Amino acid sequence: MIDLSPVVVTGLGTVHAVGCGRRRMAAALRRSTTCWTEVDRSAGYHRREGSRLAALTAGLDLSPWLSRVAARRMSLPSKLAVAAARMALEDAGLETGEEDDESPTAVVVSNPHGPTALLEGILGQYYGEGPLAVSPALFTESVANAPAAQVAIACHARGPNLTVIQREAGALIALAQGAAEIVLGRAGRALVVVVDELTPLLHSIFDRFGGLALAGDDGREAARPFDRRRDGCMAAEGACSLVLEPEETVRERGARALARLRSSADAFDPRAPRSGWSRSPDLLAPALERYLSRTGLEPGDLDTIVSGASGSFAGDRLEARVLKSVWGERALPPILAPKAVTGEHGGGLLAALVLAAAGEPFGPTPGFSEVDPKLGITPHDGGPLGRPSTLLATSLAAGGAAAWLVVEAGEGA
Amino acid sequence: MTGVGAVSAWGWGSDALWDGLLSGHTGVREAERFDTRGQRSHLAGEVPAAPAEMASAFPGWRHYSRADRFAVAAAVEACRQAGLEAPDAAAEPLGSEIGVFFGGSTAGMAEGEEYFHRLTSGAQGPARLRLLASQQLNGPSDAVARLLGVTGPVRAFSSACAAGALAIGVALDSLRCGEVEAAIAGGADSLCRLTYSGFNALRAVDARPCRPFRQDRGGLNLGEGAGVLFLEPRSRARRRGVRVLAELMGSGASCDAHHMTAPHPRGDGAAQAMAKALRDAGVGADAIDFINAHGTGTPHNDASEWRAIEQVFGTRAPRIAVTSTKASVGHLLGSSGALEAIATIQCLVAGQVHSTPGDGEIDDSFDVDLVRGGPRRLAGPAAGGAGSPHRAISTSFGFGGANAALVFAAPRGAAVPRRPTS
Repeated sequence: MIDLSPVVVTGLGTVHAVGCGRRRMAAALRRSTTCWTEVDRSAGYHRREGSRLAALTAGLDLSPWLSRVAARRMSLPSKLAVAAARMALEDAGLETGEEDDESPTAVVVSNPHGPTALLEGILGQYYGEGPLAVSPALFTESVANAPAAQVAIACHARGPNLTVIQREAGALIALAQGAAEIVLGRAGRALVVVVDELTPLLHSIFDRFGGLALAGDDGREAARPFDRRRDGCMAAEGACSLVLEPEETVRERGARALARLRSSADAFDPRAPRSGWSRSPDLLAPALERYLSRTGLEPGDLDTIVSGASGSFAGDRLEARVLKSVWGERALPPILAPKAVTGEHGGGLLAALVLAAAGEPFGPTPGFSEVDPKLGITPHDGGPLGRPSTLLATSLAAGGAAAWLVVEAGEGA
Repeated sequence: MTGVGAVSAWGWGSDALWDGLLSGHTGVREAERFDTRGQRSHLAGEVPAAPAEMASAFPGWRHYSRADRFAVAAAVEACRQAGLEAPDAAAEPLGSEIGVFFGGSTAGMAEGEEYFHRLTSGAQGPARLRLLASQQLNGPSDAVARLLGVTGPVRAFSSACAAGALAIGVALDSLRCGEVEAAIAGGADSLCRLTYSGFNALRAVDARPCRPFRQDRGGLNLGEGAGVLFLEPRSRARRRGVRVLAELMGSGASCDAHHMTAPHPRGDGAAQAMAKALRDAGVGADAIDFINAHGTGTPHNDASEWRAIEQVFGTRAPRIAVTSTKASVGHLLGSSGALEAIATIQCLVAGQVHSTPGDGEIDDSFDVDLVRGGPRRLAGPAAGGAGSPHRAISTSFGFGGANAALVFAAPRGAAVPRRPTS
């Protein structure tokens, strides 16, 4: 468990198929609006009967946050990350500029798959035309930390610069790491960014692993968190950035806190298959219990859960079993499952966590219509949530990693 | 630090690494893993074939990526040195009080390339998904956690060539704040076509064995392998009755925020990382006995690094011993900081600094005391008098301006063995 107080979130920037900016994301979550579009299948990577839809960012105008000249030198993940980071700084009422070496800005990015289009481009050059055809310009942006570096350059952030890779758990781990840089006195503020790029090749690979939702009886592909008919997640791309600052600094400059970070923990289930989830909660549930206890909380103290459940059959099953095991006979608080709206994008989870802590309303969970009797969990139905005070974010990754974070309510958006 | 494990161009195990480093030669050879025709360089620090017993010693060996194999072999060696006999998830899981913190750049990229080639060309058989099972950059750390039964935090970082050192720094934070009782920290990377051809395309590689800080240096040589440290508080090591190899005193990190590939020309970011590491360690620059430099051998990197050393060490810079492990094993990219941490520890334990292979005169714009022509015995400690431990700083600087530095100290009052392992 890492104690993250007194770090607060003061800015939120998002780039997603539902639009750019905090207000667009808040509106999509309030109205339960999904935005799936057809993935390009022309390269022939896909199975004929495979998944077809995803949340894509093509067509979004990033020019208010990124000049066309700068964008030309960047991969898509770098563009999304820089735009989201600049949005978050604007939202926090902060400017970028030369900074104090004693309290610089840390940048922590979760980038689970890296710049996949560039990797594919380089491999296409290598195998198609030979090693000499490999473009140096593509190569420099193909490294996993390119978005973190571009954010640092764009925002003059000279503090620690880390890129976290831990699949679905990476978003919460990155948030905790960013806050830890402040708590440890290494940074005066932190920019946390979660970025996902989705290419046709990556989409086809997720589909071949059996991870994506398919068209059901109703002919619709949809993410159905905790639903009896769930059969996979909806793939997604996008970026979400948060500005973290010490509460004292925020008070001094008269800004508002959207959310207050309290603590975080992560764990690992070594029995999980390399590309799947354990069936049993008997390692992760005690880990979550220990974490809450060390934070000084009982499960009943938490009034909202923001879950990483995405509609994955095995992932949601493990999430449900862990929560049921920890809460036991107690009633679970309202469970938000924002990936039903955003698709499998860790940034959607972070955005929803901050918006919920800021008191934004949430609509019913799209795609959910029938309780899975084996899970017994009904995600948020759109009823009034009240103003949450203490929220738990949870994300269980394929492969065994798990991350949790407790957040307290902010002052409102 | 109570255990280290290494896999490098010198072979499997930390003894092989130390023997290779002491030899003063380079382990970089003609690359054999894939066709390098048409490339600017044909050299690499390739890891030799694994000992035959590895396949039977590790369950699932056949399904591991090459980087996973390096990672688990190094991690098990480090655990055994730390007194954890035959660590194995089934026999005795390490549990929730231990975390795994890894940095890397390629993980299962080599296997991912094969998948892509098969998928797009139909060559070499069907594109099987198992080729991608360890493709993600968290593959090696997850493989270690799975093998050893770790249920605590498992975190992977990919911040280019600083990743391994950054991961060790995060592990140190985790220990200090009591999140874990012990940490398995380091990194693993394997050579792959993408990085080999990419660095060739950037003209950042030398066709000859690399020559850090030399006048005619022409670039780096790529390498592969793993370095893993077993870290625990001194009190825990004492309680368990295990020998402390060295002390990880502090870490520092910064970002140039300057350019995607070029380092800051004055070395400002690198100097910041070193200064922060020294501050974190609670020592001044005058307490450092030698520097294990990032020392890639590229014209810009070495120049920037020397300026950073001058900023931090001032007038003492020309008198402090500097070595580069990369000249011996190649540049392991994300895991280089982890392997170089081990080389630094080995030097501290042995009381001598390994030399930097490569011929040629020192660049006359650097007044650097590069250790050459054989290992150099450490004189009395730079600070604190005869009873004080020797201390060293190891630096790692990556693409995108990510910088990291680690400060190590030899164990207090320990007899100096020839090697850190039994």
